[in-house]
Amino acid sequence: MKRIGTRCLGALRQDAQLRFGVIGLAILLLLCLLAPVLATVDPYYYGPDSLAAPGVSGHLLGTNHLGQDVFSMLVYGVRTSLMVAIVSSMLSGIIGVVIGGIGGYFGGKVDVVISEIINIFLMIPVFFLIMLIVSLFGSDIKNVMIVIGITNWSKNAKLMRAQALSLRERTFVKSAIALGETKMQVLFKYILPNGIFPVVANTTRGMAGAILTEASLSFLGLGDPNVISWGQMIYQGKQYITTAWWISAFSGIAVIITVIIFYMLGDGLNHVLNPKYNQGGNK
Amino acid sequence: MEHLLTVKDLNVTYVNKNRRVMAVRNVNMAVDKGDSLGIVGESGSGKSTLAMALLRLHPKGTEITGQALFEGKDLLAITKEEMNELRWVKIAVVFQKAMNALSPVHRISEQIEDIYRVHCPKASAEEIKTRTLELLKLVNLPERVYNLYPHEMSGGMLQRVAIAISLLHHPQLLIFDEATTALDVVTQGQILKEILEMEKTLATTRIMITHDMSVVATTCNKVAVMYAGELMEFGMVKDVLTHPHHPYTQGLQGSFPSLKGDNKKLVSIPGFLPDLSKECKGCVFAPRCSHATERCHKEKPPMVKTGEAGGAACWLCIGGEENGK
Amino acid sequence: MANNAYIEIKDIQKFYPHKDGKLFHKAGERKYVKAVDGVSLSMQRGEILGVIGESGCGKSTLGRILVRLEDPTSGDVFIDGVSTKEILQKDTKTFRRQVQIIFQNPFDTFTPRDTIQKILLRPLKHHNIGKDTVERLKICKEALEAGGLRPAEDILSRYPHELSGGQLQRISIIRSMFLNPGFIIADEPVSMLDVSVRAEIINMLIDLARNKNAAVVFISHDIALTRYISDNIAVMYLGRIVEYGSADEVIKNPQHPYTRALISNCASVDPFEEHEEISIEGEPPTPINPGPGCYFAPRCYMATEECFKCYPNRVSCGGSHYAVCDKIKVNGAENS
Repeated sequence: MKRIGTRCLGALRQDAQLRFGVIGLAILLLLCLLAPVLATVDPYYYGPDSLAAPGVSGHLLGTNHLGQDVFSMLVYGVRTSLMVAIVSSMLSGIIGVVIGGIGGYFGGKVDVVISEIINIFLMIPVFFLIMLIVSLFGSDIKNVMIVIGITNWSKNAKLMRAQALSLRERTFVKSAIALGETKMQVLFKYILPNGIFPVVANTTRGMAGAILTEASLSFLGLGDPNVISWGQMIYQGKQYITTAWWISAFSGIAVIITVIIFYMLGDGLNHVLNPKYNQGGNK
Repeated sequence: MEHLLTVKDLNVTYVNKNRRVMAVRNVNMAVDKGDSLGIVGESGSGKSTLAMALLRLHPKGTEITGQALFEGKDLLAITKEEMNELRWVKIAVVFQKAMNALSPVHRISEQIEDIYRVHCPKASAEEIKTRTLELLKLVNLPERVYNLYPHEMSGGMLQRVAIAISLLHHPQLLIFDEATTALDVVTQGQILKEILEMEKTLATTRIMITHDMSVVATTCNKVAVMYAGELMEFGMVKDVLTHPHHPYTQGLQGSFPSLKGDNKKLVSIPGFLPDLSKECKGCVFAPRCSHATERCHKEKPPMVKTGEAGGAACWLCIGGEENGK
Repeated sequence: MANNAYIEIKDIQKFYPHKDGKLFHKAGERKYVKAVDGVSLSMQRGEILGVIGESGCGKSTLGRILVRLEDPTSGDVFIDGVSTKEILQKDTKTFRRQVQIIFQNPFDTFTPRDTIQKILLRPLKHHNIGKDTVERLKICKEALEAGGLRPAEDILSRYPHELSGGQLQRISIIRSMFLNPGFIIADEPVSMLDVSVRAEIINMLIDLARNKNAAVVFISHDIALTRYISDNIAVMYLGRIVEYGSADEVIKNPQHPYTRALISNCASVDPFEEHEEISIEGEPPTPINPGPGCYFAPRCYMATEECFKCYPNRVSCGGSHYAVCDKIKVNGAENS
């Protein structure tokens, strides 16, 4: 455990992108936890002043057309964004790792079928599919997360499959088989743990995509109306963009910053975890 | 004297962020014209580092001290441009994996032409072709190789092409860095024979870097044995291999079985390579040596003359216990 | 003789379909790479059999088939008279306990993420050796110390990349020995190790054959080393055995032209050793539908027209020594 700790610290010191990402993520998590403290007003409270400009009557970033405080909404929006990002990416990560791992490791006909399915999912316009499903099954935030999760696993599966393909030829996998371990044991003890890192990095980057997807859905009016999300705020602010720019602008900036943080985190992880970039290691 | 290459007090240190690995330490050796010197050692012995340092192909940030005089010029002191002039033209090298050195999308003929033009930009296509075909014949390759792509050839053929390329400009010194290691027994045997055959007509001097004693035994007249970055023993092949003086050389001999001779019991050298990033006070081999005395651990042994052309860095060779086998 | 052999390898074949880019093939048109093409051998307990040949001759494929990392296209292996096919059908674990393999690359034999302790405990647990972790740890420590890896405590706490190749290969052998196999395949076990530590691995394998009465198949391209370790040697060329006999017989009195060429091209440590000058052309081709004649005929210095017509017969050269070549005169055997 101590080794892992020192390795993490070393990686943080070494990679500026990762450092940026980790600090950013820490701030986001903090915002998430402290939202009730930081928010000046209840974001669901429809105040008397609608479309107040930033700074007017105590509203730090102004209010929207219903009189809700933009700053407070932004702070609460972090929760939605993080939840969507984490849940959907975990879902797509797990599905991708298992499917890709099975395809790559078992090979043969199983692999042929699985890689065709992966290719189909890589080809279809995912966003259109998501829109379709959400409009059919309702725009509950849970649905949104699940839909994003089960439509975005294909890239992860492709990565994991490639890893499994090369790992199964490694001597330690062969020796595990020769020592009598079953296929499932080999898959979960040797293939997945040794091949998962590129997928971890990709999944983290995928979080940025998930946030954007959720924002886009909300922007198209397919978001969950009962939840405060940045996408929804941009959507609401759209019609007032000329008179009350602050509604869309600040939530847009929030989306951009969060996406950048996750992207940096993913890229940094990729640099640290991907053996291709990691030259300092053992032969 | 008329040595072709003289290496004096060569030290090569790889500098990492937090470590200094002294890969080659205080190596002295001389190569005469027409010699074929085999440098043998195990992994981590510094044999390849030595060659890379001579060619100035070492990674950035490596510290090198000492001298390497080649025809009166110090290879370690001349400018980069001068070194580039020397490489290929006077000193050529053949690496272990020739396939990696050749571009997969160009024919052999195009690649050789490019390499030739680097040093003779005005050479005509005709001239290059004649020279190439001449060399291909020398390394026992059919003429059709000239128009092939690397992937159409086997490992042995590619290695031969690499040897042919190294000979393009009539180099005076040829360095083979594990050039036959990756090949099969039969192919290696063939190439080694061809090298010997080819040297009858060419006046080259050869340095053979290898971990395989048998390669040295069949193709070299002199041998230098390296261990942990230091020179342990050198001398004529027939002397060193039949009567090794240094305990390390003796140990190496004991771990090689003979092909047809008696089946003596193989003995390995106990222990493992010392940490090269630490300064070593005594003899580097002392921790693994069965003859080591207290003195060996404290003082570094000097190179002692053994026989007419040999030397061994061992205290035993001074104390008259020369035959302590 | 064949009936009481401990290991009986019977006519093992392994064909891979040749990838020529065509999706569909007419009947009989499909080509196969014959990696192993009918290998039969028998071994006694405590015997070390060396298998030599150039790369691509099928010796490693044979090794992988013997431990069933790959299934043979046809043929079977009998251990003590029992078909391994039957054993595998009944219980894979039993088979794995009987047959073990030592791999070429010790640096890659262990998963890089676990300590040696974890790595060594896994097979013990999997095969229910030892009651609990305490007892298993004791077994590990004793085995490591017996294998000269001291202090065992220290070794157990290390990660594979912190150990040297020689140490790792010894641990690999120790781990295989936990299962007490009667049949061990060593696939080039020392070719990636330094010369000075090779002997200890070799001596460990000899020790296994002698003291544990295991049959060991030693696959290598190093002829001198194979001769040192083996009782018998089989020479392979393009998936077939071309010569077989006791180690000294095969090396000192080779009969098949391929074996002769192989030995004559093998560089020796002894600068004064006499050499029989035999050179063969080129490198072994890929065995795509070879034959019908002798597979070695295109490179053979002795080949005549007949050699290309049908595959030669086995010619006995005295005792168990045989070579598959029609050109051998029977009096060649009388020299020995």
